[in-house]
Amino acid sequence: MTKKNKFIFVKFITALFILNGCSNSTKFASENKDPFEKINRNVFQFNKYVDQEIISPISKTYVKKVPAKIRSGVSNHLEWIDTPNTIINSALQTDMENTILASAKFLLNGLTLGFYDLDKGETVIKKRDFGSTLARLNVSEGPFLMVPLIGPKTTRDLTGTILDRQNMATLSSNSLDDLSLAEIPINIIDKRSNMSKTLDNIYLSADPYIKIRSFYLQNRRNEIYSKKYIENKNNNLDEEFEKLLD
Amino acid sequence: MKSLKNFWISKKISKFLNYTFLIFLIFNVNISKSFSDNVEMGEATIQQMIKEAQAHAINTIKLAPIERSLKIELLIKKYINLDFMSKATTGTFWKKASKKQKEMYKAALLKQIVLTTEEHLNTLATLSYKPSKSERRGKKLVYVRGLIQDPNKKKPDVNLLWKLAANKNGSFLILDLEIEGISLISSQKDEAVSILRKNRGSFDILLQKMNKNKSP
Repeated sequence: MTKKNKFIFVKFITALFILNGCSNSTKFASENKDPFEKINRNVFQFNKYVDQEIISPISKTYVKKVPAKIRSGVSNHLEWIDTPNTIINSALQTDMENTILASAKFLLNGLTLGFYDLDKGETVIKKRDFGSTLARLNVSEGPFLMVPLIGPKTTRDLTGTILDRQNMATLSSNSLDDLSLAEIPINIIDKRSNMSKTLDNIYLSADPYIKIRSFYLQNRRNEIYSKKYIENKNNNLDEEFEKLLD
Repeated sequence: MKSLKNFWISKKISKFLNYTFLIFLIFNVNISKSFSDNVEMGEATIQQMIKEAQAHAINTIKLAPIERSLKIELLIKKYINLDFMSKATTGTFWKKASKKQKEMYKAALLKQIVLTTEEHLNTLATLSYKPSKSERRGKKLVYVRGLIQDPNKKKPDVNLLWKLAANKNGSFLILDLEIEGISLISSQKDEAVSILRKNRGSFDILLQKMNKNKSP
């Protein structure tokens, strides 16, 4: 990374943190903060167009033409390549069990470059990224964002994603950088093929933008926050449900 | 004479205490029994539903799509509390809706649930269901947890949480389903309330949007 690029990168991350600071700093977000809904909706329309016109047809062809075994190998490899992020962030979150398990699995599957899961799915690793580390550090979720070509994120998660990518770039050698550039489109197609039914179903809903926002935030909060958050959320919902049942 | 009176009073008090203890015991045993009964009934309801859904997926595979949908609709209707779901997903706006709009919303919601179920029904037939921890919550609710597993271990396990409550007849009905922590009621509520808010509580616009892409 050149000096100028580094400066832009630092400025961008700072801007995201400031944006985050504008929002309420509550540890457990319960509302879906979306002050940029208008812009987000436009970006969503763009993403949807790109998805339906380019990504979805490619992913359908990919599923049709490429045998399931190869597709599963590609998925395994992409997951394996992302494991160092989980290792680093698990360590930062002092989750030693996950750090050790992820490291062992990374080394073991490294024998096949991650294309084949030698562990056969026996070891369950919790995926950790810098967004979840920031959440652990009580950084607020921040407003919801729809990022062009990337999809739904919160400002905290977008900061995390950028830092994770930066991390990977620092860890890998220059020759691997080119490889990882090629992996981005493959990753998109692989992920799209895995969730084709879900996405197509979302597009049919009354307001696909709200549905995606709701799914993303619920899923992300569940992944990141502790059991205490889930219990708290369930208690609130229980109260609401009991009132309605009366 | 005085000691006789004292003896009589103390006997009365001890009798009273004995009865109180007995009533307390019976009441408590009944409550804890009904608590565990409710959890068991909730679990049994879900097990039965999964069994029927799996059998349904196999038996209806050769039917015409409309006929299959109708059969699935009947199955779903048997297990969900549609009145509750409609109220829960529209919040305070529910009271403002007319009787006709309420019925139309219920039908649209049911259609949505049927469509979602249909998409996953064939997959469900090839997977296995393993019940996990269930619990009683508050006065009326029962949480039934379970895992959908792929016997070939090619797909990761999916965590499910059903929230149930007994209806007036005493049978347990589903109020909400959480798939990997994503509540279907919460997401439907986010969507419906957002549309209603933007359109001054107009159920007609909501219904129009809900039915827009779902007509066969």
